[in-house]
Formats: sequence, C-alpha cells, structure tokens
Amino acid sequence: MAPPSSYRPRKKRKFPSSYAGSNNSLIAELGGKSSPAFPLVSFLWSARAGVSQWLVLPLVLLAVGLFRWAVSLWGYSGFQVPPMHGDFEAQRHWMEITTHLPMAKWYLYDLQYWGLDYPPLTAYHSWLLGKLGTAIDPSWFALDQSRGLEDPLLKVFMRGTVVASEYLVFIPAVVNFLRRYTRMQNVPVWSASIALVAILLQPATILIDHGHFQYNTVMLGLVVASLDAILAGRMLWACIFFVGALGFKQMALYYAPVLFAFLLGVCIFPKIRILRLLCIALVTLVAFAVLFGPLVIGAIGEEAREILASAPQPPLLQQLPIDLDKHSVLYAVAFQLTQIIHRVFPFARGLFEDKVANAWCAVHTFYKLHRFEASLLQRMSLGATLGSILIPCILIFRHPRASLLLPALSSVAWGFFLFSFQVHEKSVLLPLLPMTLLLAGDGGLSKETRAWVGWANILGTWTMYPLLKRDELRVPYFVMTLLWAYLMGLPPTSLEAYRSRDSSEDSAEPHVLTKLVHICFYLAMIVWHVVEAFVPPPSDKPDLWVVLNVLIGAGGFGLAYLWCVWKLIQQCRKIDQKVAEETQKKNQ
Amino acid sequence: MTELYPSLAQCAIVATAFKILLFPAYKSTDFEVHRNWLAITHSLPVQEWYYEKTSEWTLDYPPFFAAFEWLLSQAAPYVDPAMLVVKNLNHDSWQTVYYQRATVIVTELVLLFALSRFVKSVPEQNRHLAHIASLSILLSPGLLIIDHIHFQYNGFLYGLLILSIVLARKQSTLLYSGITFAALLCFKHIYLYLSLAYFVYLLRAYCLDPKSVFRPQILNTIKLGICVVGIFALAFGPFASWGQLLQLKDRLFPFSRGLCHAYWAPNVWAMYSFADRALIPLAPRLGLPVNQEALTSVTRGLVGDTSFAILPEVTKEHTFALTFLFQLLPLIKLWRRPDWETFVGAVTLCGYASFLFGWHVHEKAVLLIIIPFSLIALKDRRYFSAFRPLAVAGHVSLFPLLFTAAEFPFKTVYTVFWLILFLFAFDQVAPVPERRRVFYADRFSLLYLTVAIPLIIYCSVGHQLIFGLGRYEFLPLMFISSYSALGVVGSWVGFLVVYFTA
Repeated sequence: MAPPSSYRPRKKRKFPSSYAGSNNSLIAELGGKSSPAFPLVSFLWSARAGVSQWLVLPLVLLAVGLFRWAVSLWGYSGFQVPPMHGDFEAQRHWMEITTHLPMAKWYLYDLQYWGLDYPPLTAYHSWLLGKLGTAIDPSWFALDQSRGLEDPLLKVFMRGTVVASEYLVFIPAVVNFLRRYTRMQNVPVWSASIALVAILLQPATILIDHGHFQYNTVMLGLVVASLDAILAGRMLWACIFFVGALGFKQMALYYAPVLFAFLLGVCIFPKIRILRLLCIALVTLVAFAVLFGPLVIGAIGEEAREILASAPQPPLLQQLPIDLDKHSVLYAVAFQLTQIIHRVFPFARGLFEDKVANAWCAVHTFYKLHRFEASLLQRMSLGATLGSILIPCILIFRHPRASLLLPALSSVAWGFFLFSFQVHEKSVLLPLLPMTLLLAGDGGLSKETRAWVGWANILGTWTMYPLLKRDELRVPYFVMTLLWAYLMGLPPTSLEAYRSRDSSEDSAEPHVLTKLVHICFYLAMIVWHVVEAFVPPPSDKPDLWVVLNVLIGAGGFGLAYLWCVWKLIQQCRKIDQKVAEETQKKNQ
Repeated sequence: MTELYPSLAQCAIVATAFKILLFPAYKSTDFEVHRNWLAITHSLPVQEWYYEKTSEWTLDYPPFFAAFEWLLSQAAPYVDPAMLVVKNLNHDSWQTVYYQRATVIVTELVLLFALSRFVKSVPEQNRHLAHIASLSILLSPGLLIIDHIHFQYNGFLYGLLILSIVLARKQSTLLYSGITFAALLCFKHIYLYLSLAYFVYLLRAYCLDPKSVFRPQILNTIKLGICVVGIFALAFGPFASWGQLLQLKDRLFPFSRGLCHAYWAPNVWAMYSFADRALIPLAPRLGLPVNQEALTSVTRGLVGDTSFAILPEVTKEHTFALTFLFQLLPLIKLWRRPDWETFVGAVTLCGYASFLFGWHVHEKAVLLIIIPFSLIALKDRRYFSAFRPLAVAGHVSLFPLLFTAAEFPFKTVYTVFWLILFLFAFDQVAPVPERRRVFYADRFSLLYLTVAIPLIIYCSVGHQLIFGLGRYEFLPLMFISSYSALGVVGSWVGFLVVYFTA
C-alpha cells in the first residue's frame, strides 16, 4: 500500500537568492536581516518564495472584494434626499426606463428626471441589469412607480451589480495588464502581486464606485483592456476596447488624444504603414457602428419613427443644412444619433460644476469668470487643454512605445482634469488610474514613485471628501484612505517613503524638494480636516473650507501633472540615448 | 525561520479597518442584550442588577461580566446617554452602534496580547508555527461573524482563555493560569465546560509533584486555594451577602430550555434528530412505534422543545452522563502525563465532549473547540488532519447565524478566504509526525470539503428556488447542522485517536 500522501517529502523549490532590480525597494536590509520595507510587503512576505499565483491571486481578489463589499454597506449618493436623490437613483432609473421603453424613447423619456445622458453601452448595461433585477423583484424597476425606491434588498442588488461588473471587466483587465506589463518591464512576479494589491485597494475608486455609487470601473476596465491589447501588439483589439470605454462613459475622452497619437505614431514610425492605419480606422468605425447599431435599428421601426417624428428636434439636428421628411428612415436615424450626442455632451452647461479642484475653479475664486461670455470661456478652456496635452501627445506620437503610455495617459488626463470644460470632482479617477498603474512598472515601488503616486491618490481622495461627506461616507473615507496609506508606508501613518536609506545608491528616492512639498501638502490636508470638523466657516463665506480644499487640490494636481510630464520626458530621453548608443555600436 | 511577517499587530490593524467598515452591518438581538446590560449596570445599584427585568434580555452572565459592562458604560454618556436608559428598548442610534461595536474592537486587544504572549512562549525553532496559529485565531471567521457582525465579546473572553492556557505552560506561572481561568469563569460560565481539564491539570502539576503523585505540594495547594476562592468571593461575595445567590443561580442556569438550540448546533443530537426524521417514512416497514404527538408538533425542529417520533427521548441526565464520561477519558491520560500539550489536548476534548453531548448547546460554542485546538493543530500533520474537518464544519455551522442578503458575502467569502489561506499555510508548515498515522482520513476529508460547496449553494439559494420563500425553512438548517455535525464528530474521533496514541 502506498504511504499516505502527506508522508511524501514536499518539494522544496530553489529560487535564485538575488532578485531582479525591482525587489530591492521592497526589502530593507537591517543588520544582516531582511525585513519588509513597508507593511504591504509584509502581507505578501511569505509569497516571495514562489508561492503559486493560483493561490496568491484568488486570495488577493477575495480580500479586496471583502473591502469593497464592506464599503458598500455604507451610504450612497442621494439616500433619503427627495425629490431627485442621486447617482444611485439615476442608475436605477436607467434600468427602469431601458427595460420598459422602446429604444426610440431611451434618450427622450422625461429628461428632467435623470434622463439618460451616458453613451449607448451604459444604456445596454442598464438594460441587462434591469432585466436581471426584474427577474428577482419586478417592483424594483416598475415604470414610474419605482422612482426613489430605497428598499434594502434593492440596495444589495445594485451594490452586487457594481461588484459583479467590476469583477467581470476591471479586475480581469488589470490582472492581465499587470502580467504583461511587469513581464515587459522585467519586474518579478512577487513585486507584481504587491502592485496588484496596491492598485486594487486604491481608495478613490472604491469609495466612488462602491460608496457613492457609479460604474466607473467598467469604463476604466475597458481602458486597461485596451492598454493590455496594445502591450500584446493587438492594435485592432485596442481600438475595439477603447471604443467600448468611450461608449460606456464619455469621460474616457480624457485618454483619447494619447491613444490617437500613439496609434497614429505606430503607423508612421519607424516607417509608414498605410495598411495598418486603414485597418485601425476601419475597425474603429465598425466598432462605433456596432455600438450605435441596436439604437439605430431600434429607431427605424414604424412605431419608433412615429415617436421620433413627434418629439422636439435636438439642436444638432436643427443645425443640419438638409431638410428631411419627418417620417423617413433617414430622419429617424439622424434624430436618434444627434439626440444621443446632444444628451451625452452637455455643451450648454457651465465651465465647471460644483466645486472642483481644477484650474478654472481655482482662478474663479480670485477672479470671477462669470464676466466672460460662455463661448469665450469654452474657447479658453479648449485652448488651455490643448496646450497642456500638446507635449505629451507629441512625445508619444514621436516615440510610440508601450512603456511610455502610462505617463503619457496620466499627464494628458491631468491636463484635461485641470483645464477642460465641465469637470466633476469624480473625474479625478481618470488621471489617478494610469498614474497608480505606474506602481507595477520597473522601480514602481521605489520610494520616489511610491511617494508621488501615493501622494496624488491621497490628495485626489481628499478633494472628494466634501462629496463623500454628503453621502455619509466619512467613516469609509477615513478607513480606506488611512488603510491604503498605512499599507503603502505613506503619511499620515508613516514617513517611510520619505526617509533616506543608508545604502541609497540603487533605488530612486524622492528629491529633497519633493519631500518638502509633499510633507507640506500632507500637513495641509490634516489641518484642513481638523479645521473643517471643529471650526464653523464664517457666515458670509459658508463654502470657505470647500474652496480651500479646491485650491490646495488644484495646486497639488498641477504638480502631479508636471511630475507625469517630467517622467515622460525622462523616459523618452532614456530611449533616445539607448537608440543613439545602439547606432554608435553599429557604426563602429 | 526568524522572520515572522506579517506581524500580529499588522494583521490586527488591517483587520480593525475591516471591522470598522462592518459597523452598519446586521446585528442580532445580542446587540440589544448588551445595550440593556450597559443600561442596567450603569443606572441601577448592584443589588438590582440580577432582578431587573424590564427587557426580556435580563442579565444572565456572571458578576465579572456585569462589572465589565459597567466599566464599558462609563464612557457611554459622552457618546449617547439615551443608550443607558433601561426603558429605551431596542435603542440603536448610530452613536450607540458605533460605540458598542468599538468596544468589541477595543476589548479584543486582550486577545492580541494573549496571542503575542503565546508566540513568545514557544521555543525559537517552532515559533513560526505558533505565529501562524496565532494569526489564524486573530483572523478567525468565527470571531468575525459572532463578534463583529452578530455581536458578542468573545474576542475578549477567548483572549483570557488563551492567556490562561499560555500561563499554564511554565511551572512558575501555573498559579496565574489558575487565577485567570477562575476569573474567566466569573465572566462567562460557559467555560465551566473546560474546567475539569484545568482542575485535573492544576491538581496534578501544581498541587502534587509532577513526577510523583505521592508528594503533595502543600504550599502550592494553599496558594491556589486561597486565590481561586478569593476570586469567586470577589465575584459572588457581595451577592451572597445580600442573599441573592439563588436568584443568580436561576439567571445563570436556566434549565427550562430544550435539548437542541433553535439553530441546531452541529452535535450528536442534531444527528440524532436527523436520524429520527429519516426513520419516520421507514417506521411502518420496520414495525417501529411512532409517537404521533411528536409528528404533528408544529414547533418541531425549530424551537427548543424537540421531541422525537421514533427514537427514545433524551433527558438532561443522559446528556450530563455522556458529557461527563467523554470528558473523563482524556482526563485520565492528562492525570498520567501532565504536560502542557496533553493539557491543551484535554481542554480541547472537554470542549468537544460538552459541545457534542451537552444540553441546549449554542452553535457559537464551537469556538470552545476550535480555539484551543488551533494552539496545537500544528504540532504535526496528524493533529492537522483532525483539525481540518473541524475548521470547515465549525465555521460553516455558524452560517445560519447570519441570514440577511447583505451579510451573505461576508460569511462565505471571508470563511473561504480564511480556509484557503490557513489550511494551505498549515499544510505547508505542519511537521511530519514521529509516529505513523493511524487513520487514513485524507480521502474522506477531501470528499467532505467538496460537499460543502453545493450544500452552501443549496441552503442559500437553491432551497428557496425549489420550495419558495418561507417553506420548510428547517430543511437547510437541518442539512447544515447534520453536515457540520458529521465533520465535528469525525474530527473528534480523529483527534481522540491522535490524543491517545501520542
């Protein structure tokens, strides 16, 4: 009889004692003993000796899932705030109208009450979730009857859909992207796991999606999937995923210039490839056609045309020079498309909404911008945005390399956030995502990168505090932010990232000036929280604390923008140098 | 193997963050029970503590726990004075919830302290094993479900238990071990179930010479006697002087309850009930008499007064006799070999015996087995094999405690997380035993583990789909407790073998 399995001596795998470069920043050597450099490393300490990814990955996904679900126990936007409620009600309402109305009415129905103003993929997503929810309890999505419903089970269902959407889109995308990206950058698997946890526990995204209630991770996930496809060299898939991201949330436009410049660059440098360019253009067009297809088909039926013929014309259609028969198919198609575009891009709204930590809001504090005409402001904002994204776009166009994508994406997204039109405080998630993904790169967990990425994330979450406070999310805000800071060894829990190490030759450390600026910002945030909590604002300036938050935030984001641009330039220079060296060698 | 990461403190910090996020989660009536006790101890004179009955949740823990509630109530007026009013039944303002949940987290520091003492008490070469075992207790899904969602103070109480077990490790601290355990008994009398093991061990190792039974240590006996009597006098003395002891006895030992608790703890009686049910359709063919009264009883299986249709009734005396018998067996070995590991094994087996055969056992009492067992589960692979089914069954049996939709992911995902992490880690580090293994339960336990998944799915979703809401609700409960009972009994038998052959 064979001995029981546990008698078999377990295989002891040998692992190289010297790790590749990137692990140096994770292990602190103290008196001959190695110890983890920051707490997150300790949690994966026993995984460093080649524990299978089949074990590490499920555990990581389960753990971060628990934190997501725990945040989702708390309040959501618009809870018990009749008559309009908030984002939760908006999403629920869209599930209600998409499941009950013909497609022709989706972008027309009662626009005053949370009319659908997201692109088609969100509409399809809502339809699917609405169908699922109706199967469980039809009263959750009964047309008109269900407005403002706050059933606890409905909350569980809606929260569940956010988690499910994230685990089906964002998480697979990030896991795959990291796997490819770290391999490309020669980063050890262990560091990649640590970066994965850091990225998945990023507080801002969790608080907005699972607390405030939105489906940002679907859009962000599609963007990451698009990046992953680029790394894999599948440019056409990248186009499809990116069109999907745009089709889910128009905010993905923040990334569009970089991807456009990159894909164009890929077709031109080092040599011009017309066929590739044509393919990319064609696939993008087809993807858009597929995206709008169902809605267009839904608009050309007999009944649908009747509905559209009697509805008020969207302004864009009015501006069209041609006159169409109101009952023709062409009119229906044009109507549907222009109506969607009109709903999705609200040109008629102001320069910024609420108080947001961008340049316009900051300038407005000292120099009122009302005095200018709306069209002038629009042009100003367009000019400033273009100016801010020009350098990164040119660089990525000239050097279309996958390794430059992340800094380029973050600097362009910061540019948009700071200078573009109609920015929400939640839009800060867009620049934060590519910036946080930098943690997975070569030297991504070094003190310098960790300090900058961590600082930008904590600052970004902090600027959303007024919003989170309205949603009764204060406790999750403090818990998630402090937890993340603790795990990453960042202030206010630790100064580890800013402390110099004795043997500091190999790993990048933050510059003295960086240290000073960051510490000042952290102190400002802490002081702001104390003041906000205990000192009532002067009666003639009730928004004083929020304005202060915006000013500090805008300053910090400007710095983050500069750092990302600087990183990009630095990496481009390195590439140029390498190329120069290689050509020199060849010449010799 | 000197590096021990993540450290206990690091895990405690992350776990605390998670527990704070659980503040708004479902809470059982135990929350109101403890709020009421806060109110009673804060606003009434001590003489009335055990007589107050405005709320149905009267004070039924021993005096130290009442004093503990009094201590906790001291800071409460600054948070929300309304929670301290006895008449404010079911008061749960968010301040009250935050405050009470926070007290659970803070008092759990005792557990953290006890575990760090435990790790330090282990010799250097085995310290990493103790460290992993401590982490498994600190992060136990049992404590998370019962304390931080359902609401109780087990973290604190089990901290004291572990402290007393750790103190029993060295001859020089045996006295303190006895004192701690006596104090623990005055906090919660459920630990009486383990007291025989303490009694035998202290008697043998402290009051007699460990090497010879015939050399009594008179001085030690006097010291221990005075201390233990002193502790009990401190707890019960005041009440004795007011002539309230009988009232206390009625409150602490309410013997009017039934054999099985509402949610069927996974013990022998759950299997007995299951067998009884299964026999009903077969009875006519086998020619067995059927108790018609029990058959028609509406409350059967759900409420305490279980009665059996075919199998003979079980009385309190039966359960006591069985519990005592199965506690006695391991104690004989402890008497003959009074070392620390045998002692912890005996504590575990006392927990097993009382859980499996006791009268009106709560499913929560399974921690009484799991926690002492965790301390020695990594002794070698034989111990670990016996521990594995217990870890699964014990935690799965706690699932019915939480039945709300929002908490479903916590109990399942967290338990699965813990099982994967620690069963894998234990499997990696558990040393090979010196003796050959006696039972070949690996295949059985693998089968057992895999059955858990469809069972949980059936009980949480499948049952409602098949029978509709609110019908045959006892069925999933009965399945879970029978399944878990099988695991607990299996691991008990396995551990008995390991214990007696070690």
